[in-house]
Amino acid sequence: MATLNIMVGQEQGNVAVTVLRVEGDIDAATHKALQDKGSEVIDEGTTNILLDLSDVHYMGSAGFRAIHAISNMLDHEETVGISKSKHLKLFNPSDEVSRVIKTLGFDSFLEIYRDRAEAINSF
Amino acid sequence: MSTKQGFDLSFEASLENLHEVRDYIDQAGNSFGVDSDVLADLRLVVDEAVTNVILHGYQGRSGQVEVHMERDGDAVVILIRDQAGSFDASQVDTPHLDTALADRPFGGMGMFLIRKMTDEAEFRSLPGEGNELRIVKRQAFG
Repeated sequence: MATLNIMVGQEQGNVAVTVLRVEGDIDAATHKALQDKGSEVIDEGTTNILLDLSDVHYMGSAGFRAIHAISNMLDHEETVGISKSKHLKLFNPSDEVSRVIKTLGFDSFLEIYRDRAEAINSF
Repeated sequence: MSTKQGFDLSFEASLENLHEVRDYIDQAGNSFGVDSDVLADLRLVVDEAVTNVILHGYQGRSGQVEVHMERDGDAVVILIRDQAGSFDASQVDTPHLDTALADRPFGGMGMFLIRKMTDEAEFRSLPGEGNELRIVKRQAFG
């Protein structure tokens, strides 16, 4: 069984940002760990999450389901409409993961960054 | 006349086996010389299809899943078979990709990816019980 490691870091840009650095494959067996970690840090007061996907080698629809759930938890008090989330952003997905992000239309609703400092300061 | 080579994998319907299934697709695809982008699509599509069988077909019950993968000319053909209850793919909702995440219902993404990333994806009921998904990906060899 694939394992998913999620490391939690804190960064200070214009506002405090929680970085979730994910390592491993995000599939139907592991996605709950990501969703639960997102829920845990939000319960602890996090309002901005940068999801670092640098070390995610595979992500299927279950991973997007987890991201969708985390996005909804962070943006639940706002009318998001067609704008991109102000509170959940993605960092450095692989080309393979990026293709699925685009295919599922998540790039229309989540900002994706390649530069870490730029990502932190975008919040 | 096309030359056919095939690989077969049979495994228990458990989410814990998804990683092994993806590894199998990689190994079989690499042995055929499948283009790397095509192989990434196939890995995703098979993972999604097997996940659907486990979650929505067997629904937690024990059972077997069989995956057969073969080269047929310039195409890769994959068969995924189960002995779960009848599955009607037409009943699966299409995800609302233009709708903001906050307003978008969950679900349907796996089936959408299966259809989007293949040239053919046909479901049929097997005689007796079970289902078969036949996936075709053409121009698979760069």
